[in-house]
Amino acid sequence: MRRIFVVTCSLLALVVSAALEAKGNAEKGKTRAVTKAGNQEPCASCHGADGAKPVAPENPILAGQYSDYIVKALSDYKSGKRKSAVMNGVAAELSKQDIEDLAAWFSSQKSNLHFQR
Amino acid sequence: MTIRLLLLAASLTLAAPAFAQQAAGDPKEAHKKIAMCEGCHGIPGYKTAYPLVYHVPKLGGQSAVYLSNALNAYKSGQRIHPSMRGIAASLTDKDIADLAAYYAAGH
Repeated sequence: MRRIFVVTCSLLALVVSAALEAKGNAEKGKTRAVTKAGNQEPCASCHGADGAKPVAPENPILAGQYSDYIVKALSDYKSGKRKSAVMNGVAAELSKQDIEDLAAWFSSQKSNLHFQR
Repeated sequence: MTIRLLLLAASLTLAAPAFAQQAAGDPKEAHKKIAMCEGCHGIPGYKTAYPLVYHVPKLGGQSAVYLSNALNAYKSGQRIHPSMRGIAASLTDKDIADLAAYYAAGH
């Protein structure tokens, strides 16, 4: 009986922590996207304000992309696992919360980006 | 500053051939090659299983230049992902251009 209680509590804790962990604030992300990251240009100057119309074809469309994929990409740029002369410098200036907020913002925007088989 | 300029010049030089390849991409040719992409990118809401769980990115409508650069980076090992490395290594420049054109066209 006690074991069941312990297992239930651990499962609940897991669920709650997962829910808390993955939440970015899209409104804060919107502001962050147009604010300089340290001395680096803001996201919007290359990807467009809502991430839908990048200024150059080398820069990916972010609007409508999955938020957890954006978090993964920015985290890898921040850690240096993924290499980009520009993005490593930008991501280094972002906190974990900034990354969650930006992902929430860009993933909630509209663009031509879509699931395709 | 000089280093940053050098890096910028280097990335532009690297991007130039990728752009040239992209122009030659044929979405129709890609139909024969998308089987290996579909196993993950062709399943709605599909997530990676290990070591991190996250949605594989949406590709439809993405920039062809970005997509071909990504595949070339996986192929060279510059961008690290075990499954994508294996798949990209099997692709020719023409395959990469065709696949990038296919997803960019956004069918």
